[in-house]
Amino acid sequence: MSDAARWLLPSMFDHKAITDAIAGPLVEGKAGKRWWIAVLISLAVTGIGVIATGISFAYGPGMWGNNSAVVWGFPIANYVWWIGIGNAGTLISALLLLTRQKWRNAINRFAEAMTILAVSIAGLFPIIHLGRPMYFYWMAPYPNTMGLWPQWRSALVWDFWAILSYLLFSLIFFYLGLIPDLATLRDREGPSHWRRIWGAFALGWQGTPAQWRSHQRLQRVMAVIATPLVCSVHSIVGLDFAASLMPGWTESVFPPYFVVGAYFSGFAMVVLLALVIRSALGLEAMIRPAHLDACAKMLLAAGSVMLLSYGSEWMSALWTGEAADLRFLRFSFTGTYSGLTYGMILGNCLLPQLFWSPALRRSVPVLVIVSAGVLFGMYFERILIICNTLSIGYEPAAWTLYVPTLVDFAILLGTGGLFVFAFLLLSRVIPLVPMYEIRELAEVAKGEVR
Amino acid sequence: MTALAIASFADEAAFRAGVAKADEAGRRVVGLWSPYPVEIGAIGEEMAAPIAWIAIAGGLAAAFLFYGFIWWTATQSYPFDSGGRPLHSWQVFLIAPIEFGALAAGVAGMIAFIVRARLTRLHHPAFDIAEVERASSEHFVIALACDADDGGDVLALLADAGAVHSRMVTR
Repeated sequence: MSDAARWLLPSMFDHKAITDAIAGPLVEGKAGKRWWIAVLISLAVTGIGVIATGISFAYGPGMWGNNSAVVWGFPIANYVWWIGIGNAGTLISALLLLTRQKWRNAINRFAEAMTILAVSIAGLFPIIHLGRPMYFYWMAPYPNTMGLWPQWRSALVWDFWAILSYLLFSLIFFYLGLIPDLATLRDREGPSHWRRIWGAFALGWQGTPAQWRSHQRLQRVMAVIATPLVCSVHSIVGLDFAASLMPGWTESVFPPYFVVGAYFSGFAMVVLLALVIRSALGLEAMIRPAHLDACAKMLLAAGSVMLLSYGSEWMSALWTGEAADLRFLRFSFTGTYSGLTYGMILGNCLLPQLFWSPALRRSVPVLVIVSAGVLFGMYFERILIICNTLSIGYEPAAWTLYVPTLVDFAILLGTGGLFVFAFLLLSRVIPLVPMYEIRELAEVAKGEVR
Repeated sequence: MTALAIASFADEAAFRAGVAKADEAGRRVVGLWSPYPVEIGAIGEEMAAPIAWIAIAGGLAAAFLFYGFIWWTATQSYPFDSGGRPLHSWQVFLIAPIEFGALAAGVAGMIAFIVRARLTRLHHPAFDIAEVERASSEHFVIALACDADDGGDVLALLADAGAVHSRMVTR
């Protein structure tokens, strides 16, 4: 089979068919019963998180499992996990654009949407974790009567700029790609109020060769900027840990190791979203088994790099011979949280090895199990980074175990609900697969088949 | 009387053939529209060329300004001895400007794109042409200038190139 034709069924070689398949449900279709049920469930779950956050605000961080030794706990693990997922969308989109991968077209839009939602959610956690969230704006430099400025050496301030810049940049990148598709929605028959909204956001796009050239030029420029930006954002998250002096944290491998981990968990989420979207929106002709195969290969590669990273981390501890580092390593494998360590290795390193088999790379149940395993494994990793190090630091008298509370779990669950809820809303108002890019792919595929 | 010959094409090859034939015949192309990126010669290159430079300049300017601001706040406005570290801790001061510079490059590029691609014109005469509306979803469209008396020749030329539909529009 020709290269482009692998990524698209012949039924989608016609531009009108592509537009109808993607825009049809948005413009004409009514939301089905399944969509409403999913919205209600996700809204209820979000409500649980809102209540738990409200309890935290009313009664303070004492409602969480955090203690005087493990001061970070779930809020920071949640932050790192969500921003990891958020890192992948723009990175996937930008990298695949720069390397001219044809399979980018089917997944880049919803991966970018995933980024925006996940980074927005991630950004909530440092604020929630502040203890006095109403003063979060103190991280921004603004003239004030106290004559104070942010402490630029603080990891919290680095995070503030990293998240803010990355979120807004990703939003621009996402919107840029959306403009031609908004014009398509504007020009179709459909509800007039929505057409007016799409029309306003389409900015008067016509699709002339001159406009296309400018559009493509900026998209490539932004992809070039996005790639190092994404790496820097999660490197900064890695530096939050590595810039400290704690055992298990102060390692130079952390920034790249965090970037790979982010890419890994984000790709796992992309796979799950791809499976849901292709089935729920009937886009099997565009999100093909070849796409799943390609994503599975990425998971396999990233999982193998994760194994190497863990090995490097463990070897560093062994090699230094530092008592605190060795204690940390022993505690990881035999201590209270060792079950999570083995879960992490299973989810992040062993399960992806199934993808050496081409048949398993295209098996939906296996893809679901492995992707979910990676997401759980990565969460275990995030919480272990915090708990293992802080529970048994340099001062034995201060050793304290961390046990999350119901409020901790409710906040985490709530953010999951919020992510699903926001994604469901997005799926009704914007095309989750870029129509113009699929049309371009269809033209190439047609040429190859001829 | 000035008129326009509007033709729709079903695929890119026919569209390109239409543009080439119009060019050979010395016809003035008033407008081209396509449902996905199609590069026709150097059309739009002049418009697109500065976008990358504007983005880079915007990003660098913002990053340098931000670094200067950090330097001023940390060493002049409110010098603060943080554990004996130098007031001008340039290594960590670089982090926020790099992130902010990337954002500024994106913003500058987006503004440049909107201005250069002449966007935000929500009401353009082209939108009165039904074929242009369809160009955003399925068809390629060519608009050629002609006079009412040679319109037939132009339509024949476009049909010969593979147009699936063509007509005259008088203005």
